[in-house]
Amino acid sequence: MSALLEAAGLRFAYGRRPVLDEVSLALGPGELVGVIGPNGAGKTTLVRLLAGVLAPAGGSVRLADRPLSAYRRRELARRLAVVPQDAHLEFPFTALEVVLMGRAAHLPPLGFPRARDLTVARAAMQRLEVAHLEDRPLDRVSGGERQRVLLARALAQEPEVLLLDEPTTHLDLRHQAGIHDVLGELSRSRGTAVLSVLHDLNLAAMYCDRLILLAAGRVLRVGTPSQVLTAEALGDAYRTQVYVGPNDATGSLVVLPLVRRRG
Amino acid sequence: MRRPTFLVALPLLAACSGRPPPPATTPPARVVSLAPSITEIVYALGAGDRLVGVCAQCDYPAAAARLPRVGGYLVPSVEAVVAARPDVVLVVPSPGNRDAVRAVEQAGVRVVVVQDRTLADLWASMRAVGAALGLADAGERLVADVQRRLEAVRGRVAGLPPRRVLLVVGHTPLVVAGRGTLQDELVSAAGGVNVAADIGGVWPQISLELVVARAPEVIVDAAMGTEEGRHDLFGGLATVPAVRDGRVVAFAGEAIFRAGPRVPDAARALAAAIHPEAFGAG
Amino acid sequence: MTLRPPYLTARRLAATTAVLAALLMLSIAGAMLVGPVAASLRRALVDPESADRVILFRTRLPRVLLGAVVGGSLGTSGAALQALLANPLACPHLLGISGGAAVGGVLALIAGAEAITAVAPLAAFAGALVAIGVVYLAARAGGRSTPYALLLVGVVFNVLASAAIMLLNVIASYAQAHGVLFWLMGSLSGQSWGLIAAAGAYALAGLAWLAAHAQDLNLLAAGEEGAAELGVDVERARRAVFVAASLLVGAAVSVSGMISFVGLIVPHLIRLVLGADHRLLLPASFLGGAAFLVWADALARTALAPAELPVGVVTALLGGPFFLFLLRRELGRGAS
Repeated sequence: MSALLEAAGLRFAYGRRPVLDEVSLALGPGELVGVIGPNGAGKTTLVRLLAGVLAPAGGSVRLADRPLSAYRRRELARRLAVVPQDAHLEFPFTALEVVLMGRAAHLPPLGFPRARDLTVARAAMQRLEVAHLEDRPLDRVSGGERQRVLLARALAQEPEVLLLDEPTTHLDLRHQAGIHDVLGELSRSRGTAVLSVLHDLNLAAMYCDRLILLAAGRVLRVGTPSQVLTAEALGDAYRTQVYVGPNDATGSLVVLPLVRRRG
Repeated sequence: MRRPTFLVALPLLAACSGRPPPPATTPPARVVSLAPSITEIVYALGAGDRLVGVCAQCDYPAAAARLPRVGGYLVPSVEAVVAARPDVVLVVPSPGNRDAVRAVEQAGVRVVVVQDRTLADLWASMRAVGAALGLADAGERLVADVQRRLEAVRGRVAGLPPRRVLLVVGHTPLVVAGRGTLQDELVSAAGGVNVAADIGGVWPQISLELVVARAPEVIVDAAMGTEEGRHDLFGGLATVPAVRDGRVVAFAGEAIFRAGPRVPDAARALAAAIHPEAFGAG
Repeated sequence: MTLRPPYLTARRLAATTAVLAALLMLSIAGAMLVGPVAASLRRALVDPESADRVILFRTRLPRVLLGAVVGGSLGTSGAALQALLANPLACPHLLGISGGAAVGGVLALIAGAEAITAVAPLAAFAGALVAIGVVYLAARAGGRSTPYALLLVGVVFNVLASAAIMLLNVIASYAQAHGVLFWLMGSLSGQSWGLIAAAGAYALAGLAWLAAHAQDLNLLAAGEEGAAELGVDVERARRAVFVAASLLVGAAVSVSGMISFVGLIVPHLIRLVLGADHRLLLPASFLGGAAFLVWADALARTALAPAELPVGVVTALLGGPFFLFLLRRELGRGAS
């Protein structure tokens, strides 16, 4: 399986503060890869570098074997979609208008949405259970609903590669599971390459094919969940004691921080 | 100086008016004038050689242009004024000089404030400046002389029916002289009737259509500078008598705005514009 | 507000624009009949020598048309700036862009530019461009333009611009000093047909240029990074918006001085009723801004009749409280 999105030796710093140091990864079609690690590890920066909105200080990112810089933005947007952690949508666009923005890269500059664009957009909203919000202005929806609308927008782009930055922060349990189901389905049946930054290690264990453990700007471990989610690797990365055990319900792993019992 | 430059700051006129200056024991030898009108009065009193400092805009008579500058009419320089070691400083309230004048007073310098808004102010200011310089008699003679010259202008147009006049000081926005200004009184002295006298306010801003409605027979256009080169503001108003008969008269120069000894000359120029037939020209 | 369909179609765009254009025509006609002097339309049409004709067609008509052009320019540029800076509080006047344009115009006049038609608008355009550049750079410092950053930069820039105008006022000869009120408070009267036509041409050019980037503006409204991820060439879009908005603001300020708040109020109200899609918002802000200023100027010339208020006073009295209300909403939202 050849890599669709490849990063080699990425380095980045904000001013003098180094954020990423020699980060390499490869993402293939149909894979669901999770990026985990403590706060400040550089996960969001990594997503922005992979999306091409930040230029690395060193190293390169290649999509389908072409460097990102060789792509025009429109072309890139047809192949790669990003779901940010949150978007400050201060203007009263309706949810459908926002999702239709995902089709912008497929439309001519002044073009109005055609029948197909509407179908794709509505199907995406249906998938993410936000179809009922179609004509609601986006400054009137909850955080969780907004997150799902943003994911629907990314799906409407019909990308080959999907990058997500903590897509489940505002979502309740049911929707968290739902998102991961959608992502799983995308990768398996559509062959989309999905890379998602996750903070919930249990969900990561359950859904991801591979995990990348990032700490202090470096890749600590790469592999299957069972390879990466070990007490010592996690303890190292998160600087706290961690319990890792079998998850009898799902067959994957369960990860818990070890907290001193009271009393 | 009566330029309505900062209409928004008009209410800043100083409250210290009408107070007679304390009598000087010896006539002051070093005098600073902070307004062009005052400088002209001082020269007219024959005391021009006592001036040791004038504001930047003091340009008449020619000798005044050679005197040292102590800042502007709007914002005088306190340090320059004090450094000139004056015995008395003569001031007209301007939209910006109140704080500077107060500072000069606090530095221990004698300050004499005169007003320049009306003809009555003009006579009072000539007398006050005369008194302040120890030239009370010369002051009285100056008042009499200027009044006589003004009366001569009035006499020239005495029998003639007054003409409707609009005195414009700004084009955009369109600002005119209202009642209670020196210019309004000069228009009356020159045999005119100010069509803007009832609008309210000393320098009202009006719409162009009001000019059409009031239909002045003479428009005195004292708006200057940047207004030149603009298109003719009144040109299209064919029903206004002043436009129709070609009586839109441009008034260059500052004389019409200075409450000083040249007021009768300004009145005469106005009268020539309003009643050209009384002056031989057409 | 769910009275409108959830997305914009070409048909709805055409229909809404036509309705707004009709409303503008009615406003122009209506405002022509309003003024401190009673004038009869019938007499004006029947009698070519009447004062009514002079009043209606020589004093009111140019003023009303200029109001439409300037109002449209300010409304459209406000909408575009709000999208570019992803901030509904952006407005050419608040951000100091009008101030920059005014300084440019004053400099041109002091330098003796008598060909007002050509030079002053260009100088104002340059001034506006400088102002936009400064505002943009300063506000980007935090990565995203928060309401605070933008407002502070705008306030400072405005103070600087007003100070510059008054400084130029003092050092210039008295002959040129009188125009300060025009620049600071605005005026729509007394301009030649040539100037009005030129301003109109600049306005339409600016509108067309922005309209061509309407889809980009839609995407930029969610932030520059988001727009890039959706396929926008952010550099090019930003440049186009800067230049077009500067053209609009520069042309408006050079012929009418600084008139505040039109670019804030009008796009906001239009968004409330018609939605945020810029393909409709831009032409609607133009037509709405035009009508707004036409009526504001009608109020300015009648409220204190026979004297007249500067039109900038009217828009400030309307816009100031509206801005405070918006600010409260924005800050309240940010805090949650």
